[in-house]
Amino acid sequence: MTAPPMAIDPGAPVLRGRNLVKSFRSGRIDTPVLRGLSLDVCPGELTLISGPSGCGKSTLLASLSGLQRPDAGEVEALGALLWSLDARALERFRLHHTGFVFQGFNLFGALSAVEQVMLPLGALKLSRTQARERALEALDEVGLSARSGLRPAEMSGGEKQRVAIARALAKRPQLLFADEPTSALDAVNGQLVIDLLHRLARSHGAAVLCVSHDPRVVAHADRVLHMEDGRLLDDTRPGAAEGHT
Amino acid sequence: MIVPLARKSLLHEWRRFLPAVVAVAFSGLLLLVQAALVLGIFGSSAVYIDASRGDLWVGHPGTRTVELGRAIPRDTEIWLRLDPAVDRVEAYSWIEGDWRSRPDVGAITLYVSGVDTSPDALLFARVLTPDMRVRLDEPGSVIVDEADMKKLGVAIGDRPRINGRTVRVVGAVSGLRTLGGVNILSSLETISRLQPGGPGDERVPYYVVRLHDAAQLPEARSRLAAAGREHGFEVWTRKEFAKSASDYWLLDTGAGLGVLFLAVVVSLVGAVITSQTLMGAVAGSATEYAALQALGIGVRALRGVVLEQAAWIGSAGLLLGGVGAWAALSLARHYHVPVVLESWAVAACAVLVLGISMISGLAAVRALRSADPATLLR
Repeated sequence: MTAPPMAIDPGAPVLRGRNLVKSFRSGRIDTPVLRGLSLDVCPGELTLISGPSGCGKSTLLASLSGLQRPDAGEVEALGALLWSLDARALERFRLHHTGFVFQGFNLFGALSAVEQVMLPLGALKLSRTQARERALEALDEVGLSARSGLRPAEMSGGEKQRVAIARALAKRPQLLFADEPTSALDAVNGQLVIDLLHRLARSHGAAVLCVSHDPRVVAHADRVLHMEDGRLLDDTRPGAAEGHT
Repeated sequence: MIVPLARKSLLHEWRRFLPAVVAVAFSGLLLLVQAALVLGIFGSSAVYIDASRGDLWVGHPGTRTVELGRAIPRDTEIWLRLDPAVDRVEAYSWIEGDWRSRPDVGAITLYVSGVDTSPDALLFARVLTPDMRVRLDEPGSVIVDEADMKKLGVAIGDRPRINGRTVRVVGAVSGLRTLGGVNILSSLETISRLQPGGPGDERVPYYVVRLHDAAQLPEARSRLAAAGREHGFEVWTRKEFAKSASDYWLLDTGAGLGVLFLAVVVSLVGAVITSQTLMGAVAGSATEYAALQALGIGVRALRGVVLEQAAWIGSAGLLLGGVGAWAALSLARHYHVPVVLESWAVAACAVLVLGISMISGLAAVRALRSADPATLLR
């Protein structure tokens, strides 16, 4: 199930959103958040959605990742129409194909780093030994193999976020979603996490879609989509000029 | 799950789960002690039967418990002896008495049992030693329960009066206490002198029968029952009569309803505390559960985690409650409080306690709704 590692060349889009519309009702007022938005996301690169707070970035991410149903529009992910799937099938799709990194690390206080990473692997019907091997591999990839036995309380914020990334990538997803992954981190750790996400897109060929207004992320993204008021305003490739690896 | 999340969380956050364990333990303790008291107190209403040997009891038709006996025809004994399976027939007399010992002890209602004094007699065979029976042979002698002596205001050798007639306390045994009142043993001859109306009526309310061979019980019983329908008596096996006596006190007096009501309250309180604690624990980990859902771990698996925690809490609480109940019952026995625990009652309490925690777990599963992964994206 691992996608073949793709080099620098982005392939065909693996995730498409078409005419996505979403509004939230508060009292009698309908606030539109997504206004008929369309976009394509390609594998092997880190795509960033930036924009001011409240512009609908996170809602877009939720719709594209199969967490929140849009009012109208469709999402095609890896050839599947996400919002035509029933709840169980959607859950299975997320299990097999997507990884998530959230702003909060959302780790269980009772579990060691390796157990946090193993947890979702059980649902993939991996044996305990296989899951452990794969979890240690993922922790090694985020540079935490030496700290695999530690619990969240014994780790720094940056380390916790790297465990969360390892948890997401141990499933070997083709789609990796990250919501403000650096906002709770200091400069050094933030940089580390960005580098990691970027590297993962390259080495695993995954489509990494990241929502952030952190300027450091903007600098490292392969592609930046600027969003404002429920619409995409700009689509640039800053990395192309820098040639960052 | 390949990672024992439920167990690890319980151990890691034991302080958070402790109230639930304690609530379950107290529910278990209360249910067990209550069951033991009920069985002890209401079971004591069958003490006359349980303390005696013999295979069959014979009494007035429709009698529910020993205290409610009525005199049966004298010829009953003959009909019983005529049956080839019958080995021994013993008369058992039972009357209420008014007790006066010392001026400072008020009137006490007590029950006098008049029994056969031969050394191999059936009645109260488990309480009376042959030596004690010999002492009862002396006219006017009675035996009391040692736990009642203080209440009765007597010592061995004293001469109190029952129904206005003087008797002599010749010994004390243990195991005669019942719910209804104080029990005293005498010989059949003595009890006939204690009848309020004075001696004369030779009829007794019960006969106890021993068969040659216990295997003949079903046939002998149906033969004697047929005879009883004709001659005005009814026949019960000792088990039936004992059950009828405790059922009468438990079910027909309203006492059982009170006990049941208490059990419901105890279970409800335990379930509420346990479910609230579990819900709090689930809500406290809502974002972690939500992240797992985002990663594709289904609600079903997470529900399993909550229910497993409920099962562990139930088991731990049951263990703790069991130890507590054992200590409480030991204390009760030490102070002669009638407590009896039978294995079926223990099993019923265990099922109830585990049921409480599993229902709490099911209630707490609702808290997983707050673990919607979309809420993680702001």
